[in-house]
Amino acid sequence: MKPEVNQILDLSAQQLLGALAPQLPSGYAQGAAALTAFMLMLSSQEYERAAEIRVVENADMRALFAELAPRVDDAALKRKLQAAAASRDGSLKISALDDANHELRRLLIALHAHVESLKDARAMEKRIWEVLKASADRRLLKMPGA
Amino acid sequence: MNDGITPRLQVYLAAKLGVRDLEISNLARIPGGASRETYRFRARYARDGNTVERALILRRDPPASLIETERAAEFRAYQAFHKLGLPVPEPIALELDGAALDRPFFIMEEIENCAVASILAPDPYGAHGEKIGEQFFRVLGRIAGADPKALGLADFEGARDPAQCWSHEIARWEKVIEEDEREPQPIVRAAIRWLKRHPPPPPRRICIVHGDYRTGNFLFDGEGNIRAILDWEMAHLGDPLEDLGWALDPLWNRGGADTAAGMLSRSRAVAIWEEASGLKVDSAALARWEIFASLKGAAIWISAAREYGEGRNTDPVNAFSGWYCLAFHNKVLAERLAGEFP
Repeated sequence: MKPEVNQILDLSAQQLLGALAPQLPSGYAQGAAALTAFMLMLSSQEYERAAEIRVVENADMRALFAELAPRVDDAALKRKLQAAAASRDGSLKISALDDANHELRRLLIALHAHVESLKDARAMEKRIWEVLKASADRRLLKMPGA
Repeated sequence: MNDGITPRLQVYLAAKLGVRDLEISNLARIPGGASRETYRFRARYARDGNTVERALILRRDPPASLIETERAAEFRAYQAFHKLGLPVPEPIALELDGAALDRPFFIMEEIENCAVASILAPDPYGAHGEKIGEQFFRVLGRIAGADPKALGLADFEGARDPAQCWSHEIARWEKVIEEDEREPQPIVRAAIRWLKRHPPPPPRRICIVHGDYRTGNFLFDGEGNIRAILDWEMAHLGDPLEDLGWALDPLWNRGGADTAAGMLSRSRAVAIWEEASGLKVDSAALARWEIFASLKGAAIWISAAREYGEGRNTDPVNAFSGWYCLAFHNKVLAERLAGEFP
């Protein structure tokens, strides 16, 4: 699509900051308009990356579950991990990816708490933190202009 | 635009101050966070044959508040620390029922001709960073060094026993997360479990914790003088390292690991705080409170996301907090806790 959605968001932010906000009363109105423009810039970043972030993160969690399930002795949790590891994203809509992501995150929370209760599971904990850290790195937003 | 506040405020304030012919002018909403609507205005009235003109601030509850906070306690904290001689605006009036202006509110003096720093500004303090930073940590040290009983604040919310400071605060913020979380937060949940397993040693004594002592919650003038410490709405009893950990959080610090609040070196900040408070910092304990600070931040941002997402408070600051700030603190927590597994 031309213009691209992220271009529309960036140019709308510029319009709001440069042409519209100065026409508003100083104080709260101008501040809220500037912050709204800032949110449009962040939304522009997210438009470009939102699907990839979720697809990669979901794949990372499934791979982690496949790797750690054989070392989990809780039978019910192991079954859930194996089922989640075998699941796939059926749609690339953000809402569908988020639904899947939330299911996988819930299971990751349960797995993490379980692993913390085990003795000599430091290597498993380390693997979980690698996945969590990669997720946090991917989702961090860049300060516009920085 | 201001809901007809001016005439009602005029009637209220005239009665409160016991004066007639009080006039309110220039009422305008100003930025002041999402937990209160903030307005500046001027009040003009006659007293003892003289005309008095005062610049005042109205802080009114929004239709939905970000974090449920105790307004009376906030007002009393302003009173106590103003009286102690810290740079805190004089509180004027507190109304807990919504009769006068639809929602609870309080009024305090306006500290004029000052600026407030934004975390979005690349260099909010200019050449005055070091000077402001020294005052910032000295005032925080004085808050930590103050005796809650002598201030009349010993009944504040919080831990009574030094050994309970840590568990009390974790329970408080875990409850906020339980209530407000709109999507699963594996890093935040792991951080809560880690913090529960790794308590710091208790403080020597219970102190008043400001609760939100950071960039954006103080006013400074053009000469680099801090003129007002604001936003006491989360003040409580607890471990003074809680405030220091929050003030040192990376979200308020654009200078890197060796700087504090983007203003001065971290070691100098801690030394000033120690000198002003009369307390010695246990570095290991402070490190725990710094991780707690990022968890507390995440909890506040989760609340902001809920308020915004459910349409109760659509101030853009809630969108910013619930998205940018939460992503930021998730990264800080993940980095710090993943570092426990080298």
